[in-house]
Amino acid sequence: MNARSTPLSFEIKNANLPLVSVLVKSLDLALLAADLQTRFGDSPAFFDNDPSLIDIQTSEGHFDVNGLLQLLRRYRLNPVALKAGNPGHEAAATLAGLFITGEARLLPAAATDPVREVIREVEVVREVAVAGQGALLIDKPLRSGQQVYARGRDLVVLAMVNPGAEVMADGHIHVYAPLRGKAIAGAKGDTGARIFATSLEAELLSIAGVYRTSDAPLPKDVAGKPAHVWLADDKLLMQAL
Amino acid sequence: MTKIVVVTSGKGGVGKTTTSASFATGLALRGHKTVVIDFDVGLRNLDLIMGCERRVVYDFVNVINGEASLNQALIKDKHAEHLYVLAASQTRNKEALTQDGVERVLQELAGMAFEFIVCDSPAGIETGALMAMHFADEALIVTNPEVSSVRDSDRILGMLGSKTMRAIQGIEPIKEHLLITRYNPTRVQDGHMLSLADIQDILRIPLIGVIPESEDVLQASNQGVPAVLLDKSDVAEAYKDVVERFLGREMPLRFTEATKQGLLQRVFGRR
Repeated sequence: MNARSTPLSFEIKNANLPLVSVLVKSLDLALLAADLQTRFGDSPAFFDNDPSLIDIQTSEGHFDVNGLLQLLRRYRLNPVALKAGNPGHEAAATLAGLFITGEARLLPAAATDPVREVIREVEVVREVAVAGQGALLIDKPLRSGQQVYARGRDLVVLAMVNPGAEVMADGHIHVYAPLRGKAIAGAKGDTGARIFATSLEAELLSIAGVYRTSDAPLPKDVAGKPAHVWLADDKLLMQAL
Repeated sequence: MTKIVVVTSGKGGVGKTTTSASFATGLALRGHKTVVIDFDVGLRNLDLIMGCERRVVYDFVNVINGEASLNQALIKDKHAEHLYVLAASQTRNKEALTQDGVERVLQELAGMAFEFIVCDSPAGIETGALMAMHFADEALIVTNPEVSSVRDSDRILGMLGSKTMRAIQGIEPIKEHLLITRYNPTRVQDGHMLSLADIQDILRIPLIGVIPESEDVLQASNQGVPAVLLDKSDVAEAYKDVVERFLGREMPLRFTEATKQGLLQRVFGRR
């Protein structure tokens, strides 16, 4: 029999699997859970059952492998492997069904994390990311059904926000164009957040949860004019710019 | 270079199929080899509007599934020499459309030296509409001067800018054209209908034409003749203007001013 003939019932091919690497800096599960909630609590579907590599970077504390796996799975990470290094950790991981690898190569970190978040939540709106934690800048019109959320910063929109579109920010919202959709500033509770527009015609205005719909007509001195909105004593106040 | 033009709107019943039929016919009459494809799987009506419903043997889905070749499925139009029609399936549903399948058919059509591929989109924002717009180079956004149509067109514009191949690949975006249909200048003047300016204020894309409201459209579709072929009709003239503008000629807008009716006209003429 010719040992070199290709068998018909299987084939072996090279394949690559991209992994999300979770660098675990503390084995305190309570602390991990709290930090995960802070980071991903608002977007629980941030991960999509992504295969993950656990890279434990501390030797302090007890490694509760099942607790950690449960925690990561709750955020839709799918741990498949542990990075080699600590024999005790490796043994626990193997018992839990993970495989041990020393060969995972980290890709250079992309500095697009905040941009990626926005894309995950909403339709793709092409952003121009400003360096550092400056405002999120949007320079294309936002059309009905589109949403943008500037997490942890201000939002600057250079084109119109149409009825049916939603702009949200943890900080201030500046719209240098007609604002006709919904504007939600101070989304995490910052009562000092303000909304600025060159033509205020919003369907809904909200600062730190205090909101007003267009059902209550805007005062004549601000409706359709350059104006800003702020919160004072739990009331939304407006003034022409 | 083949150009793929999607005729879309979001809102139903605004005149997409009427426009696809007339626009494609207009292009063909100007000598450009054109094919018009019905993407409304299961609710096909482009073949009725084009008057070729009795000649449909194989359809778009047959071609995607490899059950027929394009040559077998394409119907040569009897009114315009360079025009071909690819009908939708009436018995399948939208799942039959796959992105790869659609891409293959469009590439094969490009290989057959078609200059323009007009994609008649169904209403809505589901699979059929998304498939029709996915590979487009240009888009006609058909809008009635009416608030829900404008809102839906705005939504569709958002999707053209984010869910299509050009948007995903970050290459030159789809060229968007606003086509206002069923425009009645008298009602606009009376304040009962949104004006051109109102619509453009919200949508802010270049206007390619205004088609006046007319009973001719109903007459044409019942006859199975694209409206652009009706002699002496305002609608036909308006669609011809749209084709000219699309091909690069500047034409002044017609049929947008309310005409004052004299006493005799009011007594003997139509409203």
